[in-house]
Amino acid sequence: MSETALSRRPPAWVLWSMATILLWGTWGLVSKIASAGVDAYVNQLLYTAGLAPLMCFVAWTVWKRSAGEKREGRAQGIFWAFLTGILGGVGNLAFFQAMVKGGEASVVAPVTALFPMVTVLLALVFLKERLGRVQWIGLGLAFVAIYLLSA
Amino acid sequence: MNAWLGFAILALILWGITGVTQKLSTNRISSERSFLWFCWAMVALSAVVLLFAHPHWGLGRVVVLCSLAGGALNGLGAWTSFRALESGGKASIVISLISLYPLLTVVLAVVTLGERLTLMQTAGAVMAIAAAILLSLESTPESAS
Repeated sequence: MSETALSRRPPAWVLWSMATILLWGTWGLVSKIASAGVDAYVNQLLYTAGLAPLMCFVAWTVWKRSAGEKREGRAQGIFWAFLTGILGGVGNLAFFQAMVKGGEASVVAPVTALFPMVTVLLALVFLKERLGRVQWIGLGLAFVAIYLLSA
Repeated sequence: MNAWLGFAILALILWGITGVTQKLSTNRISSERSFLWFCWAMVALSAVVLLFAHPHWGLGRVVVLCSLAGGALNGLGAWTSFRALESGGKASIVISLISLYPLLTVVLAVVTLGERLTLMQTAGAVMAIAAAILLSLESTPESAS
């Protein structure tokens, strides 16, 4: 492959980002299809089973790299990661239940994708982070979007 | 308020809180270890569901495949998003770009499931995606208020 052809290739981060859009975008669709025949609890069990192969791969990666990793603050880090999983999992149950209750994928996906508004508000209150002008605009847009999507 | 909207807002709130807890975690441990413990929490939650929720079985093959695919697609998406950040992409750009994913869901749902959006909902979907992008942008010293 020539040097020009190589330089025309998009950077790796663009390709990984596109892959993420493809994976998460499709996840919204398959969740809606599944919601027609399964309740939120069974979906959670199957969802976790679907996650298992990746979990094994990541566990292997962590085990390989664990020698050089610092131990300081690990217990706290694990606590927050575990809490993230519990909140994320209950969030998944609610997301799926929204589909089961008749929410259309084309509406539920954009509504739930507004979750950064909660993160930004919490970071403002608890982490004392400051918001930029664009984030304030984003926050305002988010409220209008929820109103329009629920119409 | 419609029941589906209540659940969607609950998901939004819970996932929003994870934005903070995830940051508190990755400030202390690697993203891989954080993801691994995220998965362990999913396993624990599933065990609780299995013990107490008495789920109803009797499922079609397509439904089972879609539910399994849901876990795989969502997990892989989390992993590829970490790879995007590790491959040198600026967090503000990567996360803004990734925030476009509902657009694909909307297109796929309209094309494959025949869902139809009203004019108001279309405007809302566009606004939601724009809002998610703006919220993901890092504040600069000039623009911070």
